[in-house]
Amino acid sequence: MTTYTICIFTENTIGLLNRITIIFTRRRINIESLTVSETERKGVSRFTIVIKHESREEVEKLVRQIRKIVEVMAVFGYLNDEIVYNEIALFKVSTPLGSKPLDVETINKKYKAWVVYWGLDYVVIEKTGNDTEIFDFFAYIKQYDILEFVRSGRVAVGKTEKGLVEYLPEMEWAYYL
Amino acid sequence: MEAIASITPEIIETTPAAPPVAPKLISGSEALMMALVAEGVDTIFGYPGGAIMPVYDALYDFQDRLNHILVRHEQGAAHAAEGYARVTGRAGVCLVTSGPGATNLVTGIADALIDSTPMVCIVGQVAKKLLGTDAFQEADVMGVTMPITKWNYQITDADEVPDVISKAFYIAQSGRPGPVLIDITKSAQLELMTKPFAYERCQSIISYRPRLVPKLEQVEAAARLINSAKRPYVLVGHGVQIAKAEAELLTFVEKTGIPVATTLLGQSTISTAHPLYVGWLGMHGNYGANVMTDQADVVIAIGMRFDDRVTGDASKFIKQAKVVHIEIDPSEIDKIIRADAPVVGDAKEALNALLSLVNPNDHTVWRNEFRKYDVVEHETITQPVLNTAEGKIRMGEVVNMLSEKTNGESILVTDVGQHQMMASRYYQFRRPNSLVTSGGMGTMGFALPAAFGAQVGAPDRQVVAIIGDGCFQMTLQELGTIVQNKQPVKAIILNNNFLGMVRQWQQLFHQRRYSFVELQNPDFITIAKGFGMDGMTCDQRENLSDALDTMLNHDGPFLLEVIVEKEENVFPMVPAGTSVSQIRLK
Ligand SMILES: Cc1ncc(C[n+]2csc(CCOP(=O)(O)OP(=O)(O)O)c2C)c(N)n1
Repeated sequence: MTTYTICIFTENTIGLLNRITIIFTRRRINIESLTVSETERKGVSRFTIVIKHESREEVEKLVRQIRKIVEVMAVFGYLNDEIVYNEIALFKVSTPLGSKPLDVETINKKYKAWVVYWGLDYVVIEKTGNDTEIFDFFAYIKQYDILEFVRSGRVAVGKTEKGLVEYLPEMEWAYYL
Repeated sequence: MEAIASITPEIIETTPAAPPVAPKLISGSEALMMALVAEGVDTIFGYPGGAIMPVYDALYDFQDRLNHILVRHEQGAAHAAEGYARVTGRAGVCLVTSGPGATNLVTGIADALIDSTPMVCIVGQVAKKLLGTDAFQEADVMGVTMPITKWNYQITDADEVPDVISKAFYIAQSGRPGPVLIDITKSAQLELMTKPFAYERCQSIISYRPRLVPKLEQVEAAARLINSAKRPYVLVGHGVQIAKAEAELLTFVEKTGIPVATTLLGQSTISTAHPLYVGWLGMHGNYGANVMTDQADVVIAIGMRFDDRVTGDASKFIKQAKVVHIEIDPSEIDKIIRADAPVVGDAKEALNALLSLVNPNDHTVWRNEFRKYDVVEHETITQPVLNTAEGKIRMGEVVNMLSEKTNGESILVTDVGQHQMMASRYYQFRRPNSLVTSGGMGTMGFALPAAFGAQVGAPDRQVVAIIGDGCFQMTLQELGTIVQNKQPVKAIILNNNFLGMVRQWQQLFHQRRYSFVELQNPDFITIAKGFGMDGMTCDQRENLSDALDTMLNHDGPFLLEVIVEKEENVFPMVPAGTSVSQIRLK
């Protein structure tokens, strides 16, 4: 199984998420994570979808099917080494009176994680990084009582020199057009 | 670039010398009518109901410009629109109400999508403030049709009407054509636009740019492959007729001397009498056309998508050949069969571009290799069907005789099943754009309404529908539409008293366990007469010719029921999932 990050640039219209996910569902491809946001161009949304698949050929077909949606401007399928990417995780950790104190220095220096909120008997720690980094930190922090853990989807930008502006509106379609 | 049409509402023209300050604003429903007129629509297939009533009210004043045809079931509207679109090349238009009206269109929309048929469906929706409340006749039609439309959109504001309608027609008719659905709330139909109506035909959409003219390097690579080929083979799909590239195809194959086969939907692109035509591909296509795919060294596939009914086991299909794939939809390239030379573009543009780059040739020896299979097919399959003197009438005989009597010049509309395959096998098409059939979806009930729509779209042509007794009973109420609209559709029921195609599979692959395939049929002619349509039954071979003459010479619509052999099978047959080389002759 290889991880692919599919970046989809679309017009910002209602129902598009549905149209896009239908294409994954029809091919029985499970979405690992999904992030949607507006881009630097007004009215242009960016979907970042992470999937795992054993066949590059199938992923290429998937990409071309997504490209077929009328409102989709461009689609890119990336391998991990072709992108810079990150995720963010929040850990709500219990810190009742008398419990083992948090080692904030290790958390900061070793794990590059930060306490972003102090509650009465808990703290919220924010950790950004790739999934391995987040899980390494998870493994460390689980010695304390984790009350809640949440992880965002991946956000990613391609490593090529080109920016989105160069693709849009010209939309150099990397596949067959 | 076409001129920008800005249409002033009729209302303004008729308002006597109104002060020029405030132009009268029109409702969303009127705007919809104006938009359809501006788009050049002449025919609407529809069925009214609560959530579309404001539009029907506006339509009342547009009857002189928009010919609305009241069908008997919305599925009939969808198939009629498809039939209309297939013969005219323009989008068929459906107008129906919300909820059940819209869901009744679904089968036709799915059919249009897979067979690349342009269609614009306008469906009513509950008022905006009721959306999502489970209001009366509210269905999530956007959600339901999302996977089966090329594009769909919900109008909730009257001001959106002109732009959305122009986009709808542009998307439906450009690139690879397909169905588009516009869901319009009752509130948007009723409310007034806040600005004067103006209509501009959509010319482009930023995120949607179908490539028509192929890249030169792709065409050059394709030409190199074609010029190097010893045993080239052209496979023509529906795309060539959609692109209206029949003449270009002919010039191309006549220059290069390459034999041509078509897919089911590609039939009639080239006359079956043309010396380069070798037959059609597919599960029940021609023997030579199918098995020779194993012999070609270069396959040139034009406007086709390698459906599994064509490839059989795709992992074994044309493995030995280099493939040139000319296709307007880039997602079809490499989807089933890997292309060595993909050419993305419109078939007409691509063939024109190729023409100057390919060398004249004459592959006589190679072409003659197809003929030995033709002889086998003729002797083992065609001859016995056409020359039986005893037993019940065979489907092939009927179609063959019809073909002779109409000089192969009719528009043939077929339903789905054995009769569809027999119609394809025995009709000798002489004119392009003459077969209307449900290929990708295989939708029973397609033929009667589609034949009606085709006749409306092509009033100068003879339209004959070939229908199975099972299929006929799925949409027979459209006899009413045909009669009310006085369309001279000729319909032939090939009655074998069975769901024949399923029975054939049960016979061949399920040890003759005939599970629920026998029909107790009504008296079809009495039904036709009940609708006010003439008809007759023929069950004797010696009467067949007269019966066909009676039908063809009849002024107006006519239903001919032919009682045929009950347990005839269609051969050749490539059993599902096997390779084309495993084609069976019996
Ligand atoms: C809507 C629909 N339901 C079921 C089928 C499956 N099916 C394919 S052919 C066929 C039999 C058609 O029977 P008939 O119309 O009598 O034609 P025949 O095959 O006998 O010529 C059936 C049931 C289908 N294609 N479409």
